[in-house]
Amino acid sequence: MRLKGAKAVHYDSGPNMTPLVDVVMVILIFLMLAGSFVGAEHFLVSNLPFSEKGAGASAPPAGFIPDEPLDIRVDPRATGDGFVASAGQIRVDNNQDALTTQLIRMRKQLNAAGKPTNQIQVKINPGKNVKYKHLIAVYEAALRADFEKVAFATSH
Amino acid sequence: MRKHGMPEAHAAHPNVTPLIDVVMCLIIFFMLVAKIGVSTGADQKIKIPATIRGTEIKDMGNTLTLNVQPGPLNQPFITALVKDDVRELKLVDPTNGVRQLFVELSHIRNGRDGKLGTKDDNIDFKVIIRGAEDMPYSILEPVLKTCAEAQVKNVNFNTRRGGEVAGG
Repeated sequence: MRLKGAKAVHYDSGPNMTPLVDVVMVILIFLMLAGSFVGAEHFLVSNLPFSEKGAGASAPPAGFIPDEPLDIRVDPRATGDGFVASAGQIRVDNNQDALTTQLIRMRKQLNAAGKPTNQIQVKINPGKNVKYKHLIAVYEAALRADFEKVAFATSH
Repeated sequence: MRKHGMPEAHAAHPNVTPLIDVVMCLIIFFMLVAKIGVSTGADQKIKIPATIRGTEIKDMGNTLTLNVQPGPLNQPFITALVKDDVRELKLVDPTNGVRQLFVELSHIRNGRDGKLGTKDDNIDFKVIIRGAEDMPYSILEPVLKTCAEAQVKNVNFNTRRGGEVAGG
């Protein structure tokens, strides 16, 4: 008996692609599992991370116009976890949103008084025992208030 | 005239050509965007603080990630990827008085000659601080001070996306 159909299939179907597809699928799955794409982490950027205060500070060059300072003092809460931030007349107890609102108000006041945002220097002045996560919360509040120059200062 | 229909082979097997096209495109995409085997020396065991705000750093090549956590005697324990090896960088090595962190940062920032304002200055050098969220500022402060002394102007704080924010 003549197998006409089987012969025709071999002639027309070209090379066997099954092993290629298998290998390619394995590579694809490996890359999908092993790769890291949009991570679960990001960064708070600072171009002026640390600012000396007091005797350790270096003298500014002649003709240097200093930025308008805005000191934010950060202390640990008396009850334990949390922070208390104070700047001028404001005092915020462990609430980042409230701190952001107050800082936005202060920035607008300074802007109205003729100080552009890029000439305002925010200095976060933390106590030695303030936890890093609370400092980051204060730092983020300053960034959310659209301040451009934010730095950490020597501890008090 | 005789019409040519689909060959028998096509009728018998599914056409895998479009599948291979798509899969090849996916493979090329994943190969280009995936970061496999690239280590920044970041210590994933450190629990970093969470923030809503944050940006991505596109070029991680010119960065040094400093893992900062409290060490013995209330001193910072700093590790970083230096010469393909994650090792401790002491603020001051008690055995010989060498300021390891400062030396390393200065070397990268100021180039081989260690001098500012020369050709081999690396002004775009960035430091990434990966700090434990519960460490006190007394641990972080000397690290920031050392960065400032080494003339590193760009310091980035590594945080987790979203999550709980203090009091917020």
